[in-house]
Amino acid sequence: MTLPVEILIALLVWGTLVGIDLVSLPQMMIARPLVAGTIAGAILGDIPTGLKLGVIFELLQYDILPVGAVRYPEYGPATVAAVATAHASAGVLGLGLGALVGLVTGLIGGITINVLRRVNSRIVHAAAAALESGDPSALVRVHVGGLLRDAARAAIVTATGLFLAWLARPLLAGALTTRGATLLAVAAIAAALAAGAAGTLRLVGRGPNLAWFAAGLGGGLLVAWLR
Amino acid sequence: MKLALARALLRLFAVQGSYNYERMLGVGVGVAEEPLLRDLGDAKYRPAVARGAHFFNAHPYLIGLAVGAAARAEHDGASPDQVERLREALCGPLGSVGDRLVWAGWLPFLSGLTLVGIALGAGWMAVAAFLIVYNVGHVALRWWALRAGWTHGARVSVALHNPFLQRAGAVLGPAMAFTIGAALPLTTQYLAWPFEAGARITFAVVAGLAFLALRWPGGAGHLNGLRLALGLAALALVVALVWP
Amino acid sequence: MSLALYRIDDRLIHGQVVVGWGQPLHITFIVLVDDEVRSSDWEQDLYRMGVPPDMEVIFASVEEAARQMASWQTDPRVGILLVGDVNTAVSLVEHAPQVRTFNVGGVHHRAGRTERLRFVYLTDDEAAKLRQLAARGVEVTAQDVPTAPAIPVGDFT
Repeated sequence: MTLPVEILIALLVWGTLVGIDLVSLPQMMIARPLVAGTIAGAILGDIPTGLKLGVIFELLQYDILPVGAVRYPEYGPATVAAVATAHASAGVLGLGLGALVGLVTGLIGGITINVLRRVNSRIVHAAAAALESGDPSALVRVHVGGLLRDAARAAIVTATGLFLAWLARPLLAGALTTRGATLLAVAAIAAALAAGAAGTLRLVGRGPNLAWFAAGLGGGLLVAWLR
Repeated sequence: MKLALARALLRLFAVQGSYNYERMLGVGVGVAEEPLLRDLGDAKYRPAVARGAHFFNAHPYLIGLAVGAAARAEHDGASPDQVERLREALCGPLGSVGDRLVWAGWLPFLSGLTLVGIALGAGWMAVAAFLIVYNVGHVALRWWALRAGWTHGARVSVALHNPFLQRAGAVLGPAMAFTIGAALPLTTQYLAWPFEAGARITFAVVAGLAFLALRWPGGAGHLNGLRLALGLAALALVVALVWP
Repeated sequence: MSLALYRIDDRLIHGQVVVGWGQPLHITFIVLVDDEVRSSDWEQDLYRMGVPPDMEVIFASVEEAARQMASWQTDPRVGILLVGDVNTAVSLVEHAPQVRTFNVGGVHHRAGRTERLRFVYLTDDEAAKLRQLAARGVEVTAQDVPTAPAIPVGDFT
């Protein structure tokens, strides 16, 4: 992957914003892979690739139970890195390599979130006396520190993802035949689809919503058949 | 007070900024509540700020209810114990209502709709519409929550009986289930498109087996979507490199 | 199986319980055992807001819970029993010895408590009480969500 430096910077900034959005500020869902991927595609001048990888990682995102899950992968910056990877290699090879880079970045992102929360816990614990005194400047200091650490974290994760994107092509593209590239893409996308289906079913539950889910499934199948 | 409420609202957008396991969102809640406590007078201000930053966890979009209600209770002269009790009693319900309304309703509903839109060829416009519509609901909910908390104080449960909120909760569950049900086959078609016939069969078989593995009762706790996807991708890579 | 989970969680009814556990276990009722909530109308009102309309919430004091335990345990529906702290759990087991398991789902930081797990903060007294419960044959484990592993009592007290 050889990208002009201004594009790389734009991707890094975008990935960082996406990473901050997930938890810290302002949770407007640019962290959703659909959004993160589409805009990463727009930055690269390749919206179709952005959409495709966005859809793949949006499906994986459904696997994360929205409540209480503790160690969960972070798919926002991961999708940005995946789009950058996929953009560099055309077609099925791009899809497979992009998915692979995104998955690894998502794993790394999830680990950094947990590490950050541990660090924040320690800092909040150490500041207990100041917080208990009700000193507003101490309170704001602890809080803003957390925000800045999350920004640094998001930038590091995005940079790591973009580095993996840069590595992927020289490392793997030459070694993969068309058949091999297809196999990689098929495996990653099929897994994403399975994760999406399993995750949505968990979200729907076995209550009255299941009938609505079945109705939607039927309608979707019908439309897919007619197209 | 208008200005203080606006300040609190802006700060609420960053309420999870110092997420930690000891106080969870407590510090962010304290930061958001602080502007509403400034006119309490010196003797009451600092203890109230300290209380505001104690352990708290709930849905981020609804935390304004707790921030407003606690600040109102402090102004109404509630005892420290009463304020603490109010905060504690709000954590669970505000988390639960918000999770169902947003994380299991509004968000997957619109995400599913967007997937359908993309599969049907709407492209980036579907994503733009998602971002706009989602955030109209998001910002309105945050603003309503803060106002309602500040209005009702300790009687904040009155606010949660809001008929619009009730109806939204009742409609969004089925709507979410329907749209993601419709999104799955259409998205499958969209993703399988670039593959040739042989690859599509492999695709169907792998997806089916992966789904069964994820739904396997004993698999909980070990297997998740990411691990499965990484494992399958690694396997495919090995196969592709060994038998090119 | 009718009470599928006995849980200590100081947030009582919240998303982890209703969605996280409720959906995979297919629960349709929650028993909330807490003497203070039992006597507070506005708190009951709040907790009722936290569940879907088709889910029943039963509020009980420890003594009431002990009396009705047998009927919940044979209820054809599936439910979850919640208490807010270790002391209530101990008291419940003393009054209702047929409770054989307790899941520590979330006990959070407060003055005097130290971190045992990411989601479990206990005073030394509370930790000792949990060990005593286990010594009496109650299976005590810590687990916040169904997808996380259950941690045995010896590993976190």
